[in-house]
Amino acid sequence: MTATADQVAAELRDVLAEVTGRDELRAIPLATPLFGGGVGLDSLAGTLLLRQVQRRYGVDVAAEDLNLDSLETLGTLAAFIAARS
Amino acid sequence: MIKCVVWDIDNTLLDGVYLESGEQPPPANPVLLGVLHELARRGILQALASKNPPAVADYVARLAGLDFAAAECGWDAKPDALGRIAASLGLADAEMAFVDDDMLERAEVAAALPDVLVLTPEDAAEAASWPQFNPPVVTAEARRRGQLYAERSRRQAAAGQFGGSRAEFLRHIGTRVTIAQATAADLPRLHELSVRTHQLNSAGEPLTEEELDDLRSSAGHDVITVRLADDFGDDGLVGAAIQVARGQPPDVSVPLVMMSCRALGRGTLDALLAWLCRSAAGAGAARLHVPCRVTDRNVPFRLALAASGFRAEPGERAPDGRVLFSRPLDRDLPAVPEYVLAPGEP
Repeated sequence: MTATADQVAAELRDVLAEVTGRDELRAIPLATPLFGGGVGLDSLAGTLLLRQVQRRYGVDVAAEDLNLDSLETLGTLAAFIAARS
Repeated sequence: MIKCVVWDIDNTLLDGVYLESGEQPPPANPVLLGVLHELARRGILQALASKNPPAVADYVARLAGLDFAAAECGWDAKPDALGRIAASLGLADAEMAFVDDDMLERAEVAAALPDVLVLTPEDAAEAASWPQFNPPVVTAEARRRGQLYAERSRRQAAAGQFGGSRAEFLRHIGTRVTIAQATAADLPRLHELSVRTHQLNSAGEPLTEEELDDLRSSAGHDVITVRLADDFGDDGLVGAAIQVARGQPPDVSVPLVMMSCRALGRGTLDALLAWLCRSAAGAGAARLHVPCRVTDRNVPFRLALAASGFRAEPGERAPDGRVLFSRPLDRDLPAVPEYVLAPGEP
């Protein structure tokens, strides 16, 4: 089954809420930055997120994206995963 | 090297079965309790995995007089319990040992987690003499490790109750990050960090105390230490960076950044990277370089680099093959949180 970027983004919102413990992330727009303001992903939450992505979609983001540019926003990560899963 | 021993409880750490012993739960097994204390003294973490109600963990901790780094007491399969313990302590399977009297539990763990060292209680009784349980250096930080992880579980429980962002939580619990030049007294711990850290390590190469001392005394390098404390406890020296001394603007290079995984999620690595940027910018540098050996274990380090605005040009390598991450210092510097103290900073 191929997931669309929108489906992936909907699931990623739940994953982000779980790995950060912040329920309000279940409603963030696609353009929300994952680092810095916005989600404020740090190395711990980021690692948990990438593990979930690998487990759910079989996509090893860290191996395929040296600079982790795919983590710029929720939308870029969803598109990166949908293009590969 | 084994960094954590996960103990079963019934008929292993206890001489009997917790739920079948009526009013008075069974006593501890004196031989295994002695092994447990000896290993803890060497800085090896102790954890519990038992098919019992959660209260058993408090009972065993009181009997042992020791803070366990993690306890998974419930009805889940042992491999799941070990997986959660490994994740919460930031350890690889090969750094874990598992002791259980039940042959089926041992077989289940051995099949699901082939890298875990699976032991009978009889094996465990003599394990203290095995090389896997004899770390070459044992520092004060290492001996306190079990207590530090117990403080961490109290901190995590508080984080679960807290409503705001991670940054607000770090301020709320009185986080203090202290950055200073390394002294001779820091060398054993710096060596230990260079051996033990993998997830937050840019170089992946151990340094001896002599090599570290040479770097510390050389005019060409700065060895910078990072200490971490908050209202829950004092983690001591958790990280360091080696910086090629200023004097060759426009660029500053940081050939080593390393940090204990205890500091994961506590803003400490981000604070260090922000401080290094500000310090290099203040000295007139145009770019900060962090050459990094990219491995499948130091993804958390790359996440911190990305969060602090570092990027690598895919083809650009340092002479030793490391990938050269860098960032400009003339704009958008990451903010140094106000809880970072750098006494003696010029």
